[in-house]
Amino acid sequence: MSVLIDGILAILAIYLALQCLMAQRLTQTVFLFFAFGLALALAWIRLGAVDVAIAEAAIAAGFLGVLLLDALRDFSPTFSQKQKNPETGQNPPGKDDNKPPFLPRLALGFGLGLFLLISLEAIWKTPEGGGLTAASEAFLPESGVEHPVTAVLLNFRAYDTWLEIGVILMGLLAIFVVGGIRLYSRPFTAAQDPLLRQVILFFTPVLFLFGAFLLYFGKSGPGGAFQAAVLWGAIGILLHLGGRPVFSVMPRWLLQLILTMGLGFFLLLGFLLMATGNALFEYPPAYSGIMILIVETLAAVSIAAALTAIFANVNLMKEDPNQTESTT
Amino acid sequence: MTIKEVITVILLLVGCFFFLAGTLGVLRFPDIFSRLHALTKADNLGLGFIAAGMALHIASPLAALKIFFIWFFTLLASSTSCYLIARFQKEQDQSGNRKEGG
Amino acid sequence: MEAYKIYSLTSAVLFVIGIGGIFIARHFIKKIIATIIMGGGVFLCFVSFAERDALNFADPVPHAMVITGIVVAVASAAFALALARRIYQLTGEESFTKDQ
Repeated sequence: MSVLIDGILAILAIYLALQCLMAQRLTQTVFLFFAFGLALALAWIRLGAVDVAIAEAAIAAGFLGVLLLDALRDFSPTFSQKQKNPETGQNPPGKDDNKPPFLPRLALGFGLGLFLLISLEAIWKTPEGGGLTAASEAFLPESGVEHPVTAVLLNFRAYDTWLEIGVILMGLLAIFVVGGIRLYSRPFTAAQDPLLRQVILFFTPVLFLFGAFLLYFGKSGPGGAFQAAVLWGAIGILLHLGGRPVFSVMPRWLLQLILTMGLGFFLLLGFLLMATGNALFEYPPAYSGIMILIVETLAAVSIAAALTAIFANVNLMKEDPNQTESTT
Repeated sequence: MTIKEVITVILLLVGCFFFLAGTLGVLRFPDIFSRLHALTKADNLGLGFIAAGMALHIASPLAALKIFFIWFFTLLASSTSCYLIARFQKEQDQSGNRKEGG
Repeated sequence: MEAYKIYSLTSAVLFVIGIGGIFIARHFIKKIIATIIMGGGVFLCFVSFAERDALNFADPVPHAMVITGIVVAVASAAFALALARRIYQLTGEESFTKDQ
């Protein structure tokens, strides 16, 4: 029975991935991508990785899906115009028109098939055993938290998490460079629709509370900084879409402080620990619980602000056409 | 099999039926408004039945409260997004008609 | 056949679908989605091996690495999306190959 469910789920994920890439219209692609992300999240629940499932559903399907939907505003009108275009109207748009020549396609298919066989064999023959389960179980009492995944993320391999916050910040900076910084001095126009306004006002505290719950619950169960950060980032995105861009209200130095707070405090803590004779991010076991909680909270606020800023900046790219004309 | 399990199974089956009906509606209905209707109404009812079945199955008041909140928030979010999509479509239709008329 | 084996075989298929998508898909957004699918294959492989190495709980190190990886993949995809939109704004192209 369980093999049947797993098999159906695996076939569903493969089918959705194929359909997503072969869909004719871009809208279909994006919505099938949502479905693919949710199928993958289900697969992770079947594999017992609830943290990963929350992260996948919230970040990869949710946040990236919202970004893709937003990008459709740019791309899809031209796509439908091309469909109506009488010159290309005979053959539908997609990868069927102007097919590449036969030989490269054959080579590509052959190469992909070979690659599939190699990777299947590599996965099938991966030696059993190994893994770090025993090691992380042995050191779990010293980590200051009860949930092993949180212990790995914020204590045993805190270095990874720290660099990851840096990667998000780098992504934000790169988007600033590409799109031009437009976060500041936005006009404050609340949503005209009364229902939308009320729902945003209702969901803001609920999302905040739920994020805080996930953050604190990460100590003993699935949850933690990233999941909380996405929920808090969702508040920022909702407020932005509802015509209340949060970053235009706060002064510039405050925004910069919030964005760099997680990375900076993490590093500061690491240096302080080094100054007291430990290694970087080697928390003393007596204080590790409270240190992890503080670091997690600051990191979550930083990531949430960065996600909101990424969305706001990408969302505002379409507007004010003067800037694009002046740069060309 | 106790009477509680029977009721749970019946609730879950009814929920699955409504989900199936809603999905069928999304796939088969002709225009966006009836599709939205099928998606939000039928699926929320199905989700409600499934939530009730699960709450009965777990049989702890705190978990039942959490499941109720999940259902409640889904209801709120889906009805709002349904309303927004419908309003957007209506505005599009109206502006399209005006263009064709004028 | 254990559950993890199904998923580790699926992961190879997803990875190859992603690679093929990067080569075949023409639109920027499809290429970006193809990279995400490719990453999903890699993550699935990691998590299925974590399930295989489970003792009292599943191996937490791959789980943590996958969570990190998802966030990094999304950040880079967001950057790619911003680049794609910028290219479209400046040139009107929506794929690397020019339409006739």
